[in-house]
Amino acid sequence: MGIFTRIFRNNRDKLADRHMSEPSGEKEVQCSRRLSENVEYILGAFHQTNDLKIRVLKKGEAALLYFESLAEHEKIHEKIFAPLEMGHADDVFQLPNAKKTSDLEEAVRTLLRGHAIYMEEGKKEISQFSVTSSFGRTPEEPQNEKVVRGAHDGFVENMMTNINLIRKRVEHRDLTIKYFKLGKKTNTNVSVIYMDGIADPTLVQEIETRLHSIDSDMIHSPGHVEEFIEDQSNSPFPQMLNTERPDRVAANLVEGRVAIMSEGSPTTLIAPATFFMFYQAPDDYNMRWFTGTFVRLIRLFSFIIAVGLPAFYIAVVSFHFEVIPDELIIPVKASINEIAYPPIIEGLVMVIIIELIREAGIRLPAPIGQTIGIVGGLVIGDAVVRAGLVSNIMVIVVALTAIASFVVPSNELSTALRLLTFPLIVLAGTLGFIGIVFGMLIILTHLTRLHSFGVPYFAPLAPLSLVDLKDTFVRLPMFMMKLRPKDAHALKPVALDPSREWKNRDGQNQSKQGSPGEKTSSTKDTKQ
Amino acid sequence: MKVCFFICMVCTLFLTGCWDEKQFKNVKLVLSLGFDQGEEGEIIQTVSIPTVNRASEGPGSESLQIVSTSANTPLHARDKIDQMISETYDPSKVKVVLLGEDLAKKNIYPILDDMYRSPRSNLNAYLAVVEEGTAKEVISMNHSGATRISNYIGGLLEAAVSSTHATGENLQLLCAELLEPGIDFSVPLLKIEDDGSLLTFNGMGLFHEKAYTGEKIGAEQTTMYMLLQGVKGRVARLTEKIDDNGKDEILDYVTVSVAENDRKMKVENKDGEIAATIHLDMSVKIAEYPSDHLYVKGRIEEISKKLSERLTEESVDIIAQLQEANSDVFGIGRRVKAYHPEVWKEIDWSETYPEISITPTVEVEIIQHGIIN
Repeated sequence: MGIFTRIFRNNRDKLADRHMSEPSGEKEVQCSRRLSENVEYILGAFHQTNDLKIRVLKKGEAALLYFESLAEHEKIHEKIFAPLEMGHADDVFQLPNAKKTSDLEEAVRTLLRGHAIYMEEGKKEISQFSVTSSFGRTPEEPQNEKVVRGAHDGFVENMMTNINLIRKRVEHRDLTIKYFKLGKKTNTNVSVIYMDGIADPTLVQEIETRLHSIDSDMIHSPGHVEEFIEDQSNSPFPQMLNTERPDRVAANLVEGRVAIMSEGSPTTLIAPATFFMFYQAPDDYNMRWFTGTFVRLIRLFSFIIAVGLPAFYIAVVSFHFEVIPDELIIPVKASINEIAYPPIIEGLVMVIIIELIREAGIRLPAPIGQTIGIVGGLVIGDAVVRAGLVSNIMVIVVALTAIASFVVPSNELSTALRLLTFPLIVLAGTLGFIGIVFGMLIILTHLTRLHSFGVPYFAPLAPLSLVDLKDTFVRLPMFMMKLRPKDAHALKPVALDPSREWKNRDGQNQSKQGSPGEKTSSTKDTKQ
Repeated sequence: MKVCFFICMVCTLFLTGCWDEKQFKNVKLVLSLGFDQGEEGEIIQTVSIPTVNRASEGPGSESLQIVSTSANTPLHARDKIDQMISETYDPSKVKVVLLGEDLAKKNIYPILDDMYRSPRSNLNAYLAVVEEGTAKEVISMNHSGATRISNYIGGLLEAAVSSTHATGENLQLLCAELLEPGIDFSVPLLKIEDDGSLLTFNGMGLFHEKAYTGEKIGAEQTTMYMLLQGVKGRVARLTEKIDDNGKDEILDYVTVSVAENDRKMKVENKDGEIAATIHLDMSVKIAEYPSDHLYVKGRIEEISKKLSERLTEESVDIIAQLQEANSDVFGIGRRVKAYHPEVWKEIDWSETYPEISITPTVEVEIIQHGIIN
């Protein structure tokens, strides 16, 4: 019965082309039969821009439109003219690689994407050909996230390449990618990537809602997006993890987190993030777990040094010098005896000088950057001590602090730490140890109150989850990380089932071999 | 307006902090402190203040300033010294506190009162008494070593502690013994020798209640004296004469180092009569035995027997000295007070202590004799 109705009424479900992003709610404009009207409309839509190329074909009966700045001539030839010349098709409209529409507004959008459109006099149809030219660099290792062992590729400015890198790593049907167009003027492609079935749907929903609510003319980088969707803007701590490493993104996706990418930037945002995620480096998982744990502990220790060492030193020499050991008291006294300024000024000046050197070094080309490092670090450091402006112990303290702050694998957190040094120095210089205690209390309170997409930022310390400490202060062997971290709110808590059963099997085999007599007798019994 | 108010509050909070500020670079550190008896009841305080000048490389040059003044109380003296030196006087890193013999024979608590009262003073400092001299002489002495006088005295006392010659009690530990009636203490004695260029540790000065008695345990006997108190430093060596064969004098001696010592003290009350027994069990190693031949059968037992006898005799001698000085270093009074309070109430401990019987027994066991027989 159904077959008949289908045949007679031609009632088939037609497959439509899937849109990359959800259709924007813009109006549709049907194209007219007259070619000149259509061309006029499109030219008008682009305000007579000069790089919109119009090639008139068939003696004025047809036109091919494309942006010469976006389209590639070889591709136009290969996709449109070559098949015609070869005789594969008689007409441009019959070319199979064309996408058809009759909406002029859609044609405007696809032109912007780098497509070429073909129109003919008397036809209410437009063919679109994807002839985009792309200039991409190769996926090199990101400069700021180098690893010793492990994958040496990184994201590039092209989002398709980036998603390709992830799909290659997570070859599973649950890997879901959702496109968004953000920025009213820039129309930036933004994608949300997650593992369906592992990632918490409410989390994905929340991220989508927040992305939808962005109503800005321009979106130029993930940092831009981050500020719109993060929970607490008044905080020095980054609440989303920034990375340019595909392996890191893949690992976090499988943990149940969500990644946000945007076209034109290699940086990927990962949410929700916790404080301790910023201290995990991909290297940790390539090392043996002893060394991984050791390095992890060193890194977390560097947090305390980076935030508190200058403050501690200043508090000691201006309030509590009783705590200096007897043997050190004379050397310390000798070094600070004739310094003109109080230690707090000394400390602030030195910390600011280090920041100046760092900032000057970043923007300059590499050879000059090194010179800045030498001039700034060695010459100024030495001269400032010789001139008696700063004590040499203060130079040691500030240099150690700077080194400790660079240990953090994440650049965002490293900057945050260096920023936190200043209030603590001021507190230590005015209230001594009590000031440091107050400052640390405020920082800790803030950390525990902070949330990233509904997840406590300071997890698994506050709220305490002993099981999740396996990958924070220490890095336990991989086969012991049976459960996904709770803070990712993964739907499927179990990440791996027992994976070292071969060990038990060997033990059983040995015990079996130990008693061969019994075994043979039992087989005999069964035979009988 | 609200923001203004908030900023003002924060500023005032910080300003109160500066009130307590004590810049390390603006203080004059006093590392050794000496007190002497003045002629008219006043005290003389002497301090040594090191001033270091920064050098661009290596340790800076150091100069010492010795200041002495007489005043009514230690704090009064400090104020006077403060008026004589640049910057502020700060005693929070004092390493040694020296007392002249004449002053120590009086009540020493008033001298130390300020140190116990102030939270910033260094209670970790050593206390020592200068025998037959004044603290001022010691602090201003021109000793042959190049180090600071505080380092010299501190190091000397530390060495005495590690070789079981002194208890190593600092001001904090002495405090209880100073104030408690049932226990007394002893303090290292220092003496200037060699025309004022050398200091020697000259035994432990015995205190009764809060004053130096003038009696002492000589430096030769301090090791045994420490062992009787149950205190052993890192090394405890005893050299005893155990033979008298008339040949070479050196062959009569044996030196043992104590490996373990176990002291047990019993205080008994026999119808109001207090009697104490001190039993000392020692495991020793023979460190030096010039007459050799330890492999001879029975020789080791003989040595240990003789050692036990000799050391018991020495202990009796030490205890006699203690009782003569009326210095209850072993804290027998404390035990009486704790275990026999009814007796304690009836007696006057200062009068009773010299009369009670204290019997020491020393048992020595030789456990090693070095790597040769």
